This record gives sequence, structure tokens and C-alpha cells, in this order.
Amino acid sequence: MNETNEIALQIKGLKKYFGGIKAVDGCSFDLPKGKISGLIGPNGSGKTTTFNLMTGVLGADSGEVIYKGENLVGLRPYQVFNRGISRTFQITRVYHEMTVFENMLSASSMSVPERVAREQAEELMEFVTLTKLRGEYGGNLSYGQQKLLEFARALMTDPDVILLDEPAAGVNRTLLKNLLDHIHELQEKQGKTILIVEHDMNVIMNHCEKIFVMDYGVKIAEGPPEEIQNNEEVIEAYFGHK
Amino acid sequence: MSQKEHLRNLGILGILVAVLLLVPPSFSIYIRTFSMFMMLYVVLALSWNIISGYTGYISLGHVIFYGVGSYVTGVLMVKYGWHWIPTIFAGGLVGGLFAIFIGYPVLRLKGPYFAIAMLGASEGTRVIVSVWDSVTGGGDGISFPNIENSWETYHAMLALMVLTIIVSYWVGHSRFGIRLNAIREDEVAADSLGINTTFYKMSALVLSGIFPAMGGGIASYKVLYIEPDSEFFILVTIYMKLFALFGGKGTVLGPIIGAIILYSIQEITWIKFPTAHLIAFGIFIILVARFMPRGLMGVAVDRGWVRKGMVH
Repeated sequence: MNETNEIALQIKGLKKYFGGIKAVDGCSFDLPKGKISGLIGPNGSGKTTTFNLMTGVLGADSGEVIYKGENLVGLRPYQVFNRGISRTFQITRVYHEMTVFENMLSASSMSVPERVAREQAEELMEFVTLTKLRGEYGGNLSYGQQKLLEFARALMTDPDVILLDEPAAGVNRTLLKNLLDHIHELQEKQGKTILIVEHDMNVIMNHCEKIFVMDYGVKIAEGPPEEIQNNEEVIEAYFGHK
Repeated sequence: MSQKEHLRNLGILGILVAVLLLVPPSFSIYIRTFSMFMMLYVVLALSWNIISGYTGYISLGHVIFYGVGSYVTGVLMVKYGWHWIPTIFAGGLVGGLFAIFIGYPVLRLKGPYFAIAMLGASEGTRVIVSVWDSVTGGGDGISFPNIENSWETYHAMLALMVLTIIVSYWVGHSRFGIRLNAIREDEVAADSLGINTTFYKMSALVLSGIFPAMGGGIASYKVLYIEPDSEFFILVTIYMKLFALFGGKGTVLGPIIGAIILYSIQEITWIKFPTAHLIAFGIFIILVARFMPRGLMGVAVDRGWVRKGMVH
């Protein structure tokens, strides 16, 4: 397999300014295909904005997001999703007044027959152990369960690339282990490409093969966990000047 | 919901239709007319519910479709000599097209801005109708040929109500409806999860515009006179909204029950307290909003009489 085939998604010179604030200022990186990668950085470094730019939730001022030879910048979020890139949110965006089952079904493709969509929803609810809560409103679930629901919902169309925004935030250890097991299963058995934004360094260092570090809207480092842990620039970004 | 449950619900609708077809011969013209207008408000509340209950875009100007439909019927019948039945379908078509016309700009707005934009659109249309003398008759309105038509309008409204119930039921129990619910709950998330929100919102507005337009056409033929202030009367929008809220917006049964109960109460209070009925009605609404914010269906869900959600 050549190098190009191993890249799932290419971010090239992505920029997004909010007035005078440079949220993302020329960020570039290549997301390896079929691997779990991490995107880290101090608060306000531009991680979630980068996610939003990659998924069309925000329009980029300039730059490119190349996926299967196509630039995704300028597409609407639903168009990005329908091309095989799914995501979860930093603060869960589960539909509160819809049941767990309806939450799942809402993300099914209309081109799939309803019977098949229902089966997929049932399988995924089973996968994240939410079957018993299928008739409960999304808003009545605990925060951790909402994270699981959002994760399962993002898988409804069998995406190739999954972007997870702080999956560990607010999730207890047991549920988190459950979630991480699911993430590994998706990557190992189905070859999914996964990018995780996370502040929990245990999650990032123990579960990601490659890590990208952002600070002030630009990528300042990338590499395997052990390399990132000893990178001077990364340490400085997190702890300040020596 | 299982096929058995759908068949049961279809059976209930069939019984309701049979009763409404068989019983009315014994009705006086007053009761027949009252029943026809009650069915009209079932149509209006269910239609409002599609864009506002299912999709979460609260419309304060939905009377616009009712008014447009009544004028299409009035103009085509009186000025062009059409038979009344095709004018109702023409009204529905124009109502749907009108929804696209106004939906394009107003569906870019959200929350109170959308609500006010719809109110502005309905008021603007009323003013245009008021001054467009050559077509609409301006402030003088349009008078229809005087005939007794309570039977045919009763049947037409019954047919329209059944059609609206079937469409609302389909919307409420389909993936189309679930996608509208997703937009209501969180439009950014819905868009990010593959839902073309522009298309779905527009579809919802068109669907919710067709039936009030047809209802307006039938009602105008019933009363045989239309003029801008009554056909674009804001109280009609308020009624359809309140009926849906009282029964439970975002459900199929809620707006039906709400329209039947509140329209009856409104009629009774109007008879008993001709000047104060709106005050009595207003107090009742405040109490409902305070103690039953999700309407009767919300109470039914909380007490476990009805399952949560629409698709099971």
C-alpha cells in the first residue's frame, strides 16, 4: 500500500477567524486511514473549530479538507455526513424529546429501507448496551449514556471516518471503558478511521496511535504518543515557558 | 408501531368517519355548521402542528394559507365561474406554492424571528389583498351567489379532515417525521447527521400550507362572503396554535382532541358570555400553559397511558 492510500483525510492550510480572533490559522495534517488518532491542545487552541470546519458546521475562510480526492470545504454538514464522515459533539447533542430508538433512526439514510434501518438501530443499541432504554427519552439518560447514544447514532450510516469530540468528558470509568472498547472494535474489526479530540491524556496516550497537537490555531506537533509526551513545544504549550 | 396498531388506528378513523357521515342528517343547520367549523379547526391545528409541532418552527402567521385559499376559491368562483370543487384543489396548490414563496426567505430565520416573519408575511398579504381591488375586490371583499350549501361543505370538510389526519399520521409515524423532530430538537445536530434541513423544513411548510388553504376555500364557500380582515384574521392563527398546544403539539392525536374540546368551549363561552368569552378563554389558556405545558398528550405520556415517542 502506498503512502497516499493510507491517508483518510487531508487538512490543508485551514483557516477560520472570528473577527480578530484566529481560531484556526493555517492548520494542516494528514489523518491516517484505519487508525485511531488524537487531536489535543490547550483550551482555545482550535480543536473543536477544526472539527467544525472538517464537518461543514463552520465554513472555512480558506484551506482545504480533502477526502477521497474531493475538497469538502463549502459543503453543508449533511453532505459531509453523507460522504462517510460522522461526528459526535463536545457537549452531547442528543435529541431530548425523542426516544433512544428515534434518536437512532433519525440518522439512518433514507435510501436504506426502513426495515433495514430499524435492524441497524437495534444492533447498534445492543452494541452500546442501550437496548433496555430504547423507549426512553434521550433527555432522561445520564450524561454518560447520552455519550454512548450519540456515539451509536453517529454509526448509523456505517461511516468510514468518525470524529469524536471529547468522548470521555463527564463519563464514568466503567462507561468510558465500554466506549473505548467499542472504539477499538470499530477500528480493529471494521478498519474505521477515528479522530478523537480529548483532554483526558490517559485516553489519548493509551488509545491513539498518532497524535496531533494544536496551539493558537496551528498544528505544533504530530507523532506517536511517546514522542509527543517528550516534545518540548507541546510541554511549553500546556505548561507555559520554562 | 406494529402493523396491527396501525390497522387499529385506521379502524378508529373509519368508525369516526362513519359516525360523522351517518349521524348528521338529524342535525340542525346550526349543529351541522358548528361541526363543519370544528372539523376546519382540526385541519388547521393539525396543519400548524406539522411545521410548528413536528419541526419546531412556531408560526404566528399561519392564517396566511387559510386566507390565500379562501381568496383563490372566491376569485375563481365569482370572477371566472369555476365550479367550487376544483377551486378547493386550486387553493391547495396555490397554498403549497405560496409556502415555497414565503418559505425561501423566512425559513432562514429561527425561533421568534421566524414567528414574527410569518406574522409579517400574513399581515403583508392581507394589505396586498386589501388594495388589489381589480382581483380581490379590495376592502369590499367578494360575495358568492347565495345558496344553501351546508351539506356539501360539511362533506367536503369531512373529506379534507380525513385527508389531513392521514397525512399527519403518516408524517408522525415515518422517518420523514422523525427527521422533522430532529430539526426541532437540534438543527445543527440534525444537519451534521445527514439531514438536509432546508429540504425538510420546506417540505413541512408546504404540507402545512396546503390543507389550511383548502380549508379556507371550503369555509369561504360556506359563508359566501370574504373580505381581507376576516380571512387574514390573526385570531385564526392563535386558535390553531392554542388548539394544538392544548392537545399536545408534535403528536397526531393532540391537535385533534385540542381542536374538538377548545372549539366547543369557545362556542359555549361565546354563547353564554358574548362579550367576555375571549377573557374566559384567555384565562383557561393561561391555566393550561401553567399546569399542562405539554398538553393533554403530555399528561397521558407522564401517566403512562401513552408510550413515549411516535415511532416504536
